[in-house]
Amino acid sequence: MKIMTQISVAAFAAALVFSLTACKKKEETAAAPAPAPAAAPAAPDVINVPVSVKQITLSNKIDETTKQAAMAMDSFAANDTIYAVVDTIGSGKTAIKVQWTYHKGEKTAQVNETVQEIEATGPASTEFHISKPSGWPVGDYQVEVFVNGTSASVQKFAVK
Amino acid sequence: MNASGKSTDGDMPDFSDVESGASSTAKETASAFKMYTIKSGDSLSKIAKREYGNANDWRKIFEANQDTIKNPDKIFPGQEIKIPL
Repeated sequence: MKIMTQISVAAFAAALVFSLTACKKKEETAAAPAPAPAAAPAAPDVINVPVSVKQITLSNKIDETTKQAAMAMDSFAANDTIYAVVDTIGSGKTAIKVQWTYHKGEKTAQVNETVQEIEATGPASTEFHISKPSGWPVGDYQVEVFVNGTSASVQKFAVK
Repeated sequence: MNASGKSTDGDMPDFSDVESGASSTAKETASAFKMYTIKSGDSLSKIAKREYGNANDWRKIFEANQDTIKNPDKIFPGQEIKIPL
């Protein structure tokens, strides 16, 4: 009987030790530092993608350094130099073509077609300009931008 | 119409005297150029005289178009060429 009691005490002690160890493990697990919060979503990649047109701005004046238009315009005077500022994102060698046309009813006349080849390494601004010493005919015009031969954007304007 | 800016339609304005240019904040891998469609009677010298004011600059046009013009004396109406700006 005494032996049985000793075995029971030993078994109880062992169970107690096991329980305590388990509890400690649980506490350790609970005390483990919270995982780091998920990283914020990355900003859209504007560099490692092919060049694409972000926007076109027409104006009669630009900053020669930044190539930014002084103000966006859609109507010009006969003696204006007309600028089309093409803002792009992306990188790589790219041919940007700007095609200027005049529209009268169903008829269209080509005014000018200029190509600038660039090697972009991120956001860039490319300006195209046209002038006509004898003055622009009054009427409706359009400028269409092509990137590597594919039409990317069209904008209409008028000369009044 | 054609790429030279000269309308083929009589009641449309003439844009053959339009001047153009381009520049970029990105690295420019080549000079900007405008497209021009050869007309009957054109020669590279005549085009150079009209565009640059100096007929001797025909070589500048020839060099920009060596992929399509093999002989500077052989250009054809309707042929589209690059004119460096």
